[in-house]
Amino acid sequence: MLEIKDLHATIEGEDKEILKGVSLTIKPGEVHAIMGPNGSGKSTLAYVLAGRDGYEVTEGSVQLDGEDLLELEPEERAAAGLFLAMQYPVEIPGVSNMYFLRQAMNSIRKARGEEEISAAAFMKAVKEKAGVIGVGDALLKRDVNRGFSGGEKKRNEILQMAMLAPRICILDETDSGLDIDALRTVADGVNAMRSPDRGFLIITHYQRLLDYIVPDHVHVLAKGRIQTSGDRSLALTLEEKGYGGVLGAEFAEAAA
Amino acid sequence: MSVVTRNRTVEPVPAFAEALERLRGEAAGSSGRALEERAAAFERFQALGVPTARVEAWKYTNVSSFANRPFGLAPRGTVEPDLIIPHFAGGHRARRLILVNGRAVPQFSHLGGLPAGMTVRPLAQVLAETPELVERSSVNDEPEHSFEALNRALVEDGAWISLNDGVALDEPLQIISLLTAGESAFMTHPRHVIRLGKGAKLDVIMTTVALGQADSLMNQVETIEVADGAELTIDRTLEQGQGRSAITRSRYVLGNRARLQQTNAGLGGSLIRHEMEVRLRGTHSEAILNGLMMPQGTEHVDTLIRVHHEMPDCQSDQFYKTVADGRGRAVFAGKIFVHKDAQRTNSYQKNDSLLLSDDAEIDAKPELEIYADDVKCSHGATCGDLDPTALFYLRSRGLDEALARSMLTFAFTGEVLERIKDESVGHVVRRMILDRLPGGERLAELG
Repeated sequence: MLEIKDLHATIEGEDKEILKGVSLTIKPGEVHAIMGPNGSGKSTLAYVLAGRDGYEVTEGSVQLDGEDLLELEPEERAAAGLFLAMQYPVEIPGVSNMYFLRQAMNSIRKARGEEEISAAAFMKAVKEKAGVIGVGDALLKRDVNRGFSGGEKKRNEILQMAMLAPRICILDETDSGLDIDALRTVADGVNAMRSPDRGFLIITHYQRLLDYIVPDHVHVLAKGRIQTSGDRSLALTLEEKGYGGVLGAEFAEAAA
Repeated sequence: MSVVTRNRTVEPVPAFAEALERLRGEAAGSSGRALEERAAAFERFQALGVPTARVEAWKYTNVSSFANRPFGLAPRGTVEPDLIIPHFAGGHRARRLILVNGRAVPQFSHLGGLPAGMTVRPLAQVLAETPELVERSSVNDEPEHSFEALNRALVEDGAWISLNDGVALDEPLQIISLLTAGESAFMTHPRHVIRLGKGAKLDVIMTTVALGQADSLMNQVETIEVADGAELTIDRTLEQGQGRSAITRSRYVLGNRARLQQTNAGLGGSLIRHEMEVRLRGTHSEAILNGLMMPQGTEHVDTLIRVHHEMPDCQSDQFYKTVADGRGRAVFAGKIFVHKDAQRTNSYQKNDSLLLSDDAEIDAKPELEIYADDVKCSHGATCGDLDPTALFYLRSRGLDEALARSMLTFAFTGEVLERIKDESVGHVVRRMILDRLPGGERLAELG
């Protein structure tokens, strides 16, 4: 369903390549994890896929269900079924979470030529999903992400993802800043969404999240390329030996 | 070598003198001593002339064209009740004084059941009976400008609000000021006086709406006195369309432990200018001035604030947000004076602006003048475009760019909205904001 071929990207106006030929195919029902050291291009890959301004694709292609994703605006990508759960969700004062969710759902439905969701159906769906993900009524009524804790923001991202029911879900460092309980709730929310016609791309620095969301494939992204791929055991090996141990000394992370 | 003469003022056309002639013996307080005072004010107006951009306080707002426009006195009469009722705010128990073209319309006003010691009257009655009360003000510290002098010469009516010591009105008092549509250019010069005695409390809603099309000038003067321990809140909305100009000069004076909180939503109009002078004349007083300006098209909105800390231990806060789109222009000039004796002053000023188009302009001029040594003062002005990260976040959730921009612009104004005291006024301002945003109707259910 998601086919990334030889993707090269730079930051707009700069020569330096950040992605230097990434190729990856995600089939429906599969969960892929991308791991990699800091500065390897993980977040750039997420942003390029979601269509954020400021990046330039210099080579390669990305298709979602046969459609050229790179030609689309961010909102068109959302309508096509792509969702990016962000590392740093944005606060929107004056706009209630609930209202925002409904506006997002209806925008996507409208773009697809579908009917708007009724208020009743929306309420029913949001209560149900919010319950699973642990987003309480109070958070739903508050302004989008405003004053939310790190964990609440991440849960809110997963709630948006659940409501928008995308074809392909990209999670960018969703585990960062989460304590173990929050991590578990977020993972439960993601696992509840796993289905034979939905794909996942989970970007993470640590393998911890993968204890809870078990991937089918693990890729190691470093220096703008996927250096090696494997099954779940690769993540465990990385945990044990570090990026340097798996990829060679030149990939070792500098001590913090 | 040639000498270029640049005038600081423009001499007004005879229309203004004709207006004074027409008021003679007709308007309240236009005979005898009162007439002499009107004539004297008119002479001051003529001597001052209409300022050009050469005068610092009018540098960014060009009013010189007003001098040449043949404004007549505003047409008399009233408007249908169904044009007034939609502007009711403050709940069904609020008291209301209705003005049309600056003149009180008693039959639509609702002023029954005021507490003993509280008076709300059309200013015309006070001008007719005891004109000396109107000018009793102790708030005339900074020099009169020409429009203020013009107001003194041509005032016909307005609101007279007075609360004796210890009197409180539990419900808001709304002053609805409507301007009618009209074929020919007209002007009105309302005058409002608000006086709160010691420990008095009042919430005022000032709703000004221009109905339909007209070339009009509303030149309003206000004197507001808040005595020791008194509390006054004012929520203002000003809805003016194309061709409508409003110049307002407000002077406030606060005693000891007095409190003023005003939130001002004059979003746009052909030319909007609001000049405020606040005098903190007692200790431990607080003045909060919030506002939102949103010029678009070719609109022009100008706010000029001067806060004088005359006594120790007072606080003041100026909090203005500006959104300029199209070829709109906004001016914010805020000045804090901390006088020699005003130790332990806390004074803040903040003006955050969003510039949404390349052709829009925002002029921000924050100033501090401090003569005391133990003070905390800060001022800040920011100006920028919408945050690209936030824009991307919204679009990645499926919102198209126009809607995402409107939503973020609305969010930007949120902090001012929150400061409005009366909930129903909050809804009005929200609607006023959304009316100005592309696709705003799609955000109507917001919140």
